[in-house]
Amino acid sequence: MAGIALMGGIWELISWYTKYEIPSPRMTWTVLKEVMQNPMQDDPDYKGIGTKLISSLTRVGIGFGMGSLVAIPIGLLMGSNKIIMNIINPMVQILRPVSPLAWFPLGLAFFQDSPKASIFMIFICSLWPTLINAAFGVSSIPQDHKNVGKAFGFSRWKYITRIMLPYSLPHILTGLRLSIGVAWMVIVAGEMLSGGIGLGYFVWEEGFNGGSVAKILVAIIIIGIVGLLLDRIFIGLQKRFTYAI
Amino acid sequence: MQPSATEKIKTVDEVLEPVLNPPPSIEIENVTVSFKTANGVYTAVKEISLMVKKGEIVSLIGHSGCGKSTLMGTISGMVKQSAGTVKANGMLVTKPGPDRGIVFQNYSLLPWLSVYRNIYEAVDAALKDKPSSFKHELVERNLKMVNLWAHKDKLPGHLSGGMKQRVAIARAFAINPSILLLDEPFGALDALTKSNMHVELLKLWNLDHREKTIVMVTHDIEEAIFLSDRVVVMNDGPAATIKEIVDVPLPRPRNKKTIVHDETYMAIHDKLMNLLIDKFSIDDIK
Repeated sequence: MAGIALMGGIWELISWYTKYEIPSPRMTWTVLKEVMQNPMQDDPDYKGIGTKLISSLTRVGIGFGMGSLVAIPIGLLMGSNKIIMNIINPMVQILRPVSPLAWFPLGLAFFQDSPKASIFMIFICSLWPTLINAAFGVSSIPQDHKNVGKAFGFSRWKYITRIMLPYSLPHILTGLRLSIGVAWMVIVAGEMLSGGIGLGYFVWEEGFNGGSVAKILVAIIIIGIVGLLLDRIFIGLQKRFTYAI
Repeated sequence: MQPSATEKIKTVDEVLEPVLNPPPSIEIENVTVSFKTANGVYTAVKEISLMVKKGEIVSLIGHSGCGKSTLMGTISGMVKQSAGTVKANGMLVTKPGPDRGIVFQNYSLLPWLSVYRNIYEAVDAALKDKPSSFKHELVERNLKMVNLWAHKDKLPGHLSGGMKQRVAIARAFAINPSILLLDEPFGALDALTKSNMHVELLKLWNLDHREKTIVMVTHDIEEAIFLSDRVVVMNDGPAATIKEIVDVPLPRPRNKKTIVHDETYMAIHDKLMNLLIDKFSIDDIK
């Protein structure tokens, strides 16, 4: 609470210093209430902030979901097999540092559709953290756990479902948490590039082009809070599936 | 019905032979275990031979790193010997099997499974072909045997060390192995819990009519004497061998409190101390 008050104070100071070029928290609050007037408006010519938020979240959800569905099995395979690790790891190491935004034009060229290109971009950037963490999880299964499987003659299926997956789950969730964080950061940038859709568009079109810095600030607050909530969900899941030995 | 003339009638000796001299439960012959390491080949144990009779309790004792766990690993099938043969119940050991139950040093329970599931999954895997109701009944019986039925739904993380070890023992007993292999089973427990567990283990062994063969790795001399029929003292590794096998002819059931005053007990204790320890007071440190 004290931290938020301090942030408000600094904000107030900055806006005073810039002669309210940067709107004060109070002015921003007024704009926020205005924006929140009819958040779920969904007309062809104008969409409310809630509608935009949901469209952004939907794209993140689809891209992140598909990315995770690809990344988790590949990561598990990499972690359990050295040969597969040695084949896939160099590819991951080369592609991982590429800025997610660099994938956007590629997606656009391929799909000829900017929402799909955004989803593609989210898909790509959701792969790496999950893949790497899933692989790490499986490769770090303690010998004690493996011994149980060996000593009692666990079948491959039993080993996977009773030892490998439960042990790797917290690691996978760490990967998912990092992935969704990146995806949420990247979607806004992607929507600025693609135009016409989502929160990114709101920031760019209504905020910057519309000359309303307050709207940019409103968008930043909303993006921040939603990002925090997404993070919290995964922290909660991680806690739920981590076990004391 | 009369036996036909050609049918051989077994003599009393022939009938009694397998009863009086049952085949050894464990036969270890000239076993050597070597590992490849970064610095070349490391030989943990060298040319060890040991027989264990059915229903016998044998302790392997020695200093840390003397290869006692490795030797036991060859019986369980968790460790592959480089030379020699290991037989359990007359069969060559190539991998772990349901005739041998293992209790690991650190309990090795799966922390995401309840006490019940920990045992059930092991029973289910080891006794694949048995009906599910039979397996559930086994789990229940063994959990009740170690007095943990009330805790069946708890996760291992919520149990004390002694309780975890009882789960591990119940798990090993549940698959009803004829051989029980215990790798420093009580090493992580405090002295009081440990003492209780010794008695509990012997109770389980008794309930089973002393038919299970038990091999236990330990570095606790008192524990070894109290539980065992024989104590196998090992030399320090690398290339560890058996230094001496000490018989423990104390009658059973043994009593923790009175046994320590028994002369035989004291003699065995002294002997083991001398075999294992060379410094008894600060005067012995040069």
